[in-house]
Amino acid sequence: MFAFTVARRYLLSNPLQTALLVSGVALGVTIFVFITALIQGLAITLTERVTANGAHVSLQPETRRARVLAAPGVHTEAVSLVSTFQRQQIREWSSTLSLVRQQPAIAAVSPQITGSAFLSKGEAAAPVAVTGLDPADLDAITPISSLLTGGDSNLEAGGILIGDRLADALGLASGQPVLFRTDRGVERLVTVQGVFRTGVEAIDERVAYMALRTARPLFLLPEGVTNIEIRLTDPQRARPLAALLQGATGLRATPWQDRNLSLDEALTAQAQTGRLIQTFSLVSILIGVASALVLSTYRRRSEIGIMRAFGVSGAFVSRVFILQGLMIGLIGAVSGCAVGYGLCRLLAGLTRADGTAALPIAPDQGGYLAALVLTTVGAVLASLAPARSAARLDPLDAIQQ
Amino acid sequence: MTLLLDARGLEMTFRNGDELTPVLRGVDLQLGAGELTALLGASGSGKSTLLSIVGLLLRPTAGTIEISGERVEGLSDDRRTLFRNHRLGFVFQFHHLLPDFTATENVAFPAAAPAGSLTAAMRRRARELLERVGLGDRMDFPATRLSGGQKQRVAIARALMNRPRLILADEPTGALDREAADQVLALMKEVNVEDRATFLICTHDALVAERCGRSITLRDGRVASSQSNPP
Repeated sequence: MFAFTVARRYLLSNPLQTALLVSGVALGVTIFVFITALIQGLAITLTERVTANGAHVSLQPETRRARVLAAPGVHTEAVSLVSTFQRQQIREWSSTLSLVRQQPAIAAVSPQITGSAFLSKGEAAAPVAVTGLDPADLDAITPISSLLTGGDSNLEAGGILIGDRLADALGLASGQPVLFRTDRGVERLVTVQGVFRTGVEAIDERVAYMALRTARPLFLLPEGVTNIEIRLTDPQRARPLAALLQGATGLRATPWQDRNLSLDEALTAQAQTGRLIQTFSLVSILIGVASALVLSTYRRRSEIGIMRAFGVSGAFVSRVFILQGLMIGLIGAVSGCAVGYGLCRLLAGLTRADGTAALPIAPDQGGYLAALVLTTVGAVLASLAPARSAARLDPLDAIQQ
Repeated sequence: MTLLLDARGLEMTFRNGDELTPVLRGVDLQLGAGELTALLGASGSGKSTLLSIVGLLLRPTAGTIEISGERVEGLSDDRRTLFRNHRLGFVFQFHHLLPDFTATENVAFPAAAPAGSLTAAMRRRARELLERVGLGDRMDFPATRLSGGQKQRVAIARALMNRPRLILADEPTGALDREAADQVLALMKEVNVEDRATFLICTHDALVAERCGRSITLRDGRVASSQSNPP
């Protein structure tokens, strides 16, 4: 393509100027990539921290509400009685599990019975939030086994796992019995099978785990479960999956974001700030390309004039300048992506004294395709005005100048 | 002799705000095919304006222009561009070569740009033309490395690239020393004789005019005289 040859020759005619221009574009793209990788990395790190010990989606029965029963044509009012004692439960939980497992990106599913109880030893007593689950799924949602500081995680024998702060408060150690009294009024002596430490005070002080089979009689739920907890391979898919499951099962599906609204808002605000910085980077790139091509158009007025005089069309002249914009954008974008990736890798490798990453940056999440496409398309758009102006040059004016 | 250019009643008035400046006041100009004609006149007499109008670079205020039997004064901009590319050749006082291209590429440019590619046939033709203008040893030289006379000879080769019937030259020797000017003029005369190409050369130089077959003199926007020169 001859227009391409002309455009390339024009760019190479002043290598220093072209190198500076491409460097400017590359710098803008590097900033774009860095900001994107940083924001994504921060979001991933915060999300991982928040969801490390919890489910991404929770399925629970709809909360029951008292309702007025209207009888057509009869002025009768009745109120359905809602038992506050009877636990709400998911009776058809097996079919729900099958449905959940058919969905993509499911990492683990755990049907559970949760409830409140008191642990008593001698005069000491402490409230606990109990989670009854299939011992095989013990680590599905929270990796408890790996956090044990004493005892073991074998719940088959009817024991419980408690946090170290709770154990300290009650003077308990693994292997010791403790009186367990549920909010259903059922009491039983159970053995502390193991003690764990998550590092999260609220969990280590208030949470206990036991086998689902053990929890059933204690919470008077012989068949159903109270909730189904789901972990995903990608936490960001929690919202759409929750909406899908809620529609399909009629259960209340809560994504992790709804339980951490302030984090969600912070991440959204952060993403918006990032987009603003990305937009400024792109705008500066476009202004740079446009101004360089405007100058080039001015500098080459007489050449354009002579081309037009010997019958080269305005469209050809226009193509030459648009192709210059395309080449500047493409080369700048590719270089910027490469430099940005290298920079992100370098920064991601920096660690603090404790071995953790100094910057929560995700080099693979630099928005490279977006940077490449937006910069290239933007550079072409930025070249349109100079190209149009070049194509419209009056040959006689340009030659006589 | 077949009439190649037939321009009648050409008028051109430039407007600068409210001020109107008439430059051409009813010029008639006829050129036969294969003629070598000098267009003379003092500065401001309108000869460059006439050349631009005949070269379809400027639209006349009034008058008609027929080139090779085709009326051209009312053509659209795109058609004028196409017409210039196919039928006309230009040589300017300053060569206006494209500095980022070699001599061969400069010559081939008027053919390559509209076609979208520089073909081997175009390159061959450009090289033949460069041989003809005596620059066979400078074909791959960048335009910037040629002397003034060489550049002007490349510009003539470029004007011949698309085999135009009418070549318009505006002070083609004006920026050259006498020796280079003689070479350029001899070259144009050779092309005129061998290719039967028609030349209209706008010049101040009486020596240039003497070597043309005919001289037309403009004064105050009108044709003051038209005379054949002795061979």
